[in-house]
Amino acid sequence: MAREQIGELEELVLLAVGSLLDNAYAVTVLQTIVENTDRRLDVTSIHSVLRRLERKGLVNSEMGGATAVRGGRRKKYFSLTRAGRNVLDDTMAVRARLYNQLPKLTFALPKL
Amino acid sequence: MKLQPPSYADRFLKWFCRDELIEDLQGDLHELFADRISEQSAWVTRIQYFWWVIRSIRHDVIKNPLGNMRNVHMLRNNLKIASRIIWKNKLNSFLLVAGITLGLTCFLLMGFYVRQEATYDQFHSKKDRIYRVWLKEDYGGDQIFFNSSTPLIFESFLEDNFPEVERAIQFNNIRVNVGEGENRYNERVSVISKDFFDVLDFNLLSAENNEPLPDRNSIILSAEYAKKYFGAENPLGKSLPLELAGENRLFTITAVFDDIPVNSSIQMDMAISSENDNVIYSERQRKAWFNVSPETYVLFHEGTDLEEVNAKSQDIILSVLQDEVQRDEYNIGFQPITDIHLNTEIPPALAPVGNPSYVFVLSIIGLLVLIIAIINYATLSLGHSFVRRREIGIRKVIGARKGGIIWQYLTESWLIAALGTAISIVLTYISLPLFNELIGVDITLEFQWWHLLLYLGIVCIVGISAGIYPAIVLSREQVTNILGGHGGQKKAHHLRKGMVTFQFIVTVFLVTSTLLMQRQLNFLNSKNLGFTYESTLSIQLNQDPNTLRFTEAMASARDKGKILKSQLQQYPEILASGVGSHSFGTGNWGRVSYTDQNDIFHRFRINAIDPGYLETFDIKMQEGRSFIPDNLADEKTSIILNQAAVEHFGLTDPIGKRLPGSDFGDHKIVGVTEDFNYSSLHSQIEPLILIQDYDAIYQGIHDHDYDDSPVPKLVVKYRTENLSEIYNLIEKEWKATFPNEELRLSFTDENIQAQYDDEQKMNRLVRFATLLSILVASFGLLGMTILLINSKIKEISIRKVIGASELTLFALLARSFAPQLIIGIVLSVPLTLLFMNKWLENFAYQIQISPFIFILGAIISSLIALLVISYHTLRAARINPVESMRRE
Repeated sequence: MAREQIGELEELVLLAVGSLLDNAYAVTVLQTIVENTDRRLDVTSIHSVLRRLERKGLVNSEMGGATAVRGGRRKKYFSLTRAGRNVLDDTMAVRARLYNQLPKLTFALPKL
Repeated sequence: MKLQPPSYADRFLKWFCRDELIEDLQGDLHELFADRISEQSAWVTRIQYFWWVIRSIRHDVIKNPLGNMRNVHMLRNNLKIASRIIWKNKLNSFLLVAGITLGLTCFLLMGFYVRQEATYDQFHSKKDRIYRVWLKEDYGGDQIFFNSSTPLIFESFLEDNFPEVERAIQFNNIRVNVGEGENRYNERVSVISKDFFDVLDFNLLSAENNEPLPDRNSIILSAEYAKKYFGAENPLGKSLPLELAGENRLFTITAVFDDIPVNSSIQMDMAISSENDNVIYSERQRKAWFNVSPETYVLFHEGTDLEEVNAKSQDIILSVLQDEVQRDEYNIGFQPITDIHLNTEIPPALAPVGNPSYVFVLSIIGLLVLIIAIINYATLSLGHSFVRRREIGIRKVIGARKGGIIWQYLTESWLIAALGTAISIVLTYISLPLFNELIGVDITLEFQWWHLLLYLGIVCIVGISAGIYPAIVLSREQVTNILGGHGGQKKAHHLRKGMVTFQFIVTVFLVTSTLLMQRQLNFLNSKNLGFTYESTLSIQLNQDPNTLRFTEAMASARDKGKILKSQLQQYPEILASGVGSHSFGTGNWGRVSYTDQNDIFHRFRINAIDPGYLETFDIKMQEGRSFIPDNLADEKTSIILNQAAVEHFGLTDPIGKRLPGSDFGDHKIVGVTEDFNYSSLHSQIEPLILIQDYDAIYQGIHDHDYDDSPVPKLVVKYRTENLSEIYNLIEKEWKATFPNEELRLSFTDENIQAQYDDEQKMNRLVRFATLLSILVASFGLLGMTILLINSKIKEISIRKVIGASELTLFALLARSFAPQLIIGIVLSVPLTLLFMNKWLENFAYQIQISPFIFILGAIISSLIALLVISYHTLRAARINPVESMRRE
């Protein structure tokens, strides 16, 4: 079966959505990724990736409650779909498999 | 809580962001804003917020640029319905599209012609600073010498004395024998200043060292001429012999330039440097202030105020020419280069000048035909709307708003306009070569991207102007009126009639004008000119290049003519022959002037001829005698005047008298000819003096002005049997007599015809427009007839049942167009009079505008109209009443 190909940022966002469980919306996803990876990102990239993942059917979304700090706008919560979970599992499996094939002490010696 | 994100950023976000996305997007941004603002300064956060908003612009966030989805659907729906309606009423749609197509084709062709005329010399990048210099000598009274050719000395004079002048360049044409042996041609060679290309933008294809004319032995060719002389070879570095001032010199080709665009006043094929001036002109000519020949162009420094230059030019002139002229006698002026082509107030020099009123008239005509087509559309779709009233009624009942119906109608007219435009563009491009040939113009058309925009604009404008009126009228009607079956928008009816009347006015006007123009041109061609030019031709003789004095040069060519003449006389096909400085139809004859001892200024034209000349053209003597052949005394002293000259000098009993004036040598008037039209019929007959040798009166003359070259021609009257036989015979003798010279021969009738080229061209353009407008109007009329018949079919049937004859029915239907036609004919009369009187002012000899022409125009237009309506009307009159009555 042709597996859905996802990019690195997509993978990170997918992981963050999954790990945040029922508190996953753009701001928290951004915070999770920034804290864990030290990347410089802004929320617009996260929005873009989330919309893309939703179109691919890897995440679901539902509208949540509004707060005053959000100017009366509601949140959009995301959750992992079955397909999203499968893609993550596959990606991780491939990485683990390749990593395990790595000989223990391989690195290129600097040429003298 | 106090610190809110900037509202302009929010508004911007709301403006571009899709409605379904803005909820969480803006919320997230607000949340982050609140988060950040506690950590950093407010204005940094505000900027950051705006940055996020900007960064949110992604393709999947932006609203559909076509507006909201409903409009897109409506547009699609409108398009679908419009195309169905177009498809359903094929005949009606065909008439609409064809009308628009023809009108637009006419408009485009006229438009491109007008554009070409109006964009002369616009391609020079420094055009705002380039001016052509003119010279106006004004010594009071008639003694005004106004030229846009200028003295040779102007180039250095302007550069040295006017600090505002960055560059001054000169441009002149001379005729030179080029090439050798078989490939020897008499060519027009331009003499240009070295920095010519620094001022004017002519594209140099290849030049060595970026210097097109490095020395006096270099020559540059146009791409076309490079091909003519060298074929496919690279001409650079090759040499070409030119016979300049009696000397055969080898010139090296140093550059090739792009063929000069059609809309350039300066036209040249080959050019040499003005460093050759010292062999082309005498020392006296080069220093003279009163001898005019080349065109001078100046390039002013940027920011030059022309007013200032003009204000001080008199002082500068007086400081240089202090002893020779009084203040305001010698005036220099500057004319923008882009003004040359259509300004008829400044006399033409080398650059041909177009006729601005023709350009104006043609653009009006092009526009008129397009308006006819648009009106056609409006009347037809208004008429057709009565058929479609139920459709609109139902739409309204279902809930269509006024705007919606207007849009639907506009979509329809746009679709038709787009179709018509597309076809007419193709038609225009295809028919352009044919059009050029037919009309005798030279329109070049290169596709440019902005043309697309133009076409789109045309579709929009034509669509709106054709569709808006019917759309508004139809959408305004009350539903109850429509579906209740009450007919009648009286107002729209009147307007429709008015529009039909307008079409008739324009059509009748065009038809009558064409007839009038044709009559005037026929009159010009058939008018008795006072001489016979049928079966005559002229052969250009070449002067001996080694002669410097004007009279000697003329005499040398005349002697050559005599040799050729004696050779040709032996043939029975040659009936008569003679030598003369000017033949007919090739330009204005030489004009000279002087002031006599009583300080009276005389200006007249001259032609140096031999005794055979008058015989060749059968010019009649009124008094006295003609010249005597082979009589030296007669040759040196006899002169002949025309009737106009006798009147000008106020001579009674002129034979044996002298011209008033003390400087003349020995001469006497031996004869007077009847007046004959030696100039085109644009002008009256001017005083003319015929001489044999320029020496007879040359001493007494002060000023000369030659439009047609005064170098003698051999004129020949031949027996008309076989033109090519005559040509071969002359060519044979010419080659035997002057083996190294190119034979230049022209037929007098063709030259005389060519004088009216402009008017012929105009006539053909108007005729073309007339034809198209008749076609367009006929389409309209045809459509109207069909509609009329459809709405009256029951009436016709009932009348027929009662016993009306077919003819009565035909008359009944035809009569409904009669008032419009009559009003159209009547109103077109003043329009035609106004326009045609203006046109006829171009001629000194005019036809009378007779009422007959208007009657003829009216009859022709009525016949066409009758013809158009007759087919369908007759068919309707023949219809079996049962067929149409049965249906309900």
